[in-house]
Amino acid sequence: MMAATVFPTGIKPEETSSGAPKPDAGSPRNPAVLPCVSLSNVSLTFEGRRQKVHAISDVSIDIAEGEFVALLGPTGCGKSSLLRLVSDLLPPSGGTIAVRGLPPGEARRANDFGFVFQEPALLPWRTALENIRLPLEVVEFGSAERLRRCRELLALVGLEKFESAYPHQLSGGMKQRVAIMRALAWDPPILLMDEPFSALDELTKAQLQDDLLGIWSQGRKTALFVTHSISEAVYLADRVIVMSPHPGRIKTILNVDLPRPRNEDIRESTEFLAYVRQAREALRA
Amino acid sequence: MISASASQRLLWAVVPPAIILAVIVVCWQGAVALFNVPRWLLPAPTDIVERFFRTQNLWYHTGLTVWEAVLGFGISACLGIAVAAGIVHSRFLESGIFPFIVVSNAIPIVAVVPLLTIWFGFGLLPKVLICAIISFFPIVTNATRGFESADRRVLEFMRSINARPHQVFFKVQLPGALPFIFAGFKIAASLALVGAVVAEFYSSDRGLGYLVITSATELRTDLLFVAVAVLAGLGVASFVIFGKLERLALRGESADMP
Repeated sequence: MMAATVFPTGIKPEETSSGAPKPDAGSPRNPAVLPCVSLSNVSLTFEGRRQKVHAISDVSIDIAEGEFVALLGPTGCGKSSLLRLVSDLLPPSGGTIAVRGLPPGEARRANDFGFVFQEPALLPWRTALENIRLPLEVVEFGSAERLRRCRELLALVGLEKFESAYPHQLSGGMKQRVAIMRALAWDPPILLMDEPFSALDELTKAQLQDDLLGIWSQGRKTALFVTHSISEAVYLADRVIVMSPHPGRIKTILNVDLPRPRNEDIRESTEFLAYVRQAREALRA
Repeated sequence: MISASASQRLLWAVVPPAIILAVIVVCWQGAVALFNVPRWLLPAPTDIVERFFRTQNLWYHTGLTVWEAVLGFGISACLGIAVAAGIVHSRFLESGIFPFIVVSNAIPIVAVVPLLTIWFGFGLLPKVLICAIISFFPIVTNATRGFESADRRVLEFMRSINARPHQVFFKVQLPGALPFIFAGFKIAASLALVGAVVAEFYSSDRGLGYLVITSATELRTDLLFVAVAVLAGLGVASFVIFGKLERLALRGESADMP
């Protein structure tokens, strides 16, 4: 709720309308032509103890620059693995993946990915500010700029008073905010989120969803958001990719044509509920 | 209010053991006086205190023993952390070195002392080596466990931003392992002291171990008690120091770590 209204100076909120892919002028690799993330016939098998486990089977999808895509599915459908394939944390067993036309490893080395996990996974010996600073110490980022950048990010989620608090002094929601800011610190073009809000209570979850939408609408990063909550997927995403397990594969792709910016009221609308019903039926089918 | 309860807790930590100690000392003193126990068999507490203040070269012996232990411990600390870092970074080292570390720990250190004396004589070096050998195991195992305790998600995050191995090590693994490392140091420090004394038993003309052996053979039991008391004091001091460091390393973390 708060971040949706707190924009840093110099950045005007994006015009609303649908989440139609929008070419980003500042991008170096001509994204107007290439999809941001492209998977074709991707499969992933693990060597199990007795047999091969097919985690992902024949997944093909193109994700446009600036698009918010939710990966929705039950446990074991390979949606988390998909994020790790895209970000080169796992090698695919088959098929090809391209991130802005390059292999995932290249994109990873170019610091294209900001990763957020289900757990905040902060360093307990670092303060909130120092946790956000961690990636800035690794990627190329002017050391003089770091402090200013960290403060700006903390302010964006209303945590400026907590910059020197340690993770154990923060609530679950605050910790996850810090984790999201850590993933955004160096302004990566692609945000990968692995069920980031699933461990939070309902109220905090709703607030962080709005925070996330606010932040996303300013920068229009490409976002891949893994979740098992139907309403969360519909509320956040331009497209919901419904997956089914054993082996993980794409079942349906749902275009969510709800207006942006979205807020709490939209959850009551008939359109929203219709999308939720569609997604639920797709999951059941 | 908080400070009052804190000082009260301190009071509870100090007063009961002090009372029990006082009772033991008084009984001991009384029993020695009452039954006329000879001094070589059991000296009275007052005799021991008197001997403590009258032993002029006590601090020379103590200093030497501490020096041996500190040197040996220092060697092990550096080497142990380096080996642990190697173990967590290399599959080959992990399965190649670990069995030898376990076997080395199974060899009684007392059996190694004569060998080191043959090789390195009666000087400082064999004692330092004994201290290093005996304190190596807890440092390596604890440091390894500490390095391996790093949050899998944080490691994934570091990899996703293409962090170099040394960045992962110094920013994530090492600071995360510090509480484990200091816990290992705590054990290793008292072991190093044991190593120094045992080495001095076998072949030395100085040090607290030498003091223990000679005072025992000469039936100077009061001096024996003094040496043991100093050793106990050293052990407690190292325990307190590394306990403090361990807690310092946990700053910012909840205290639910080992």
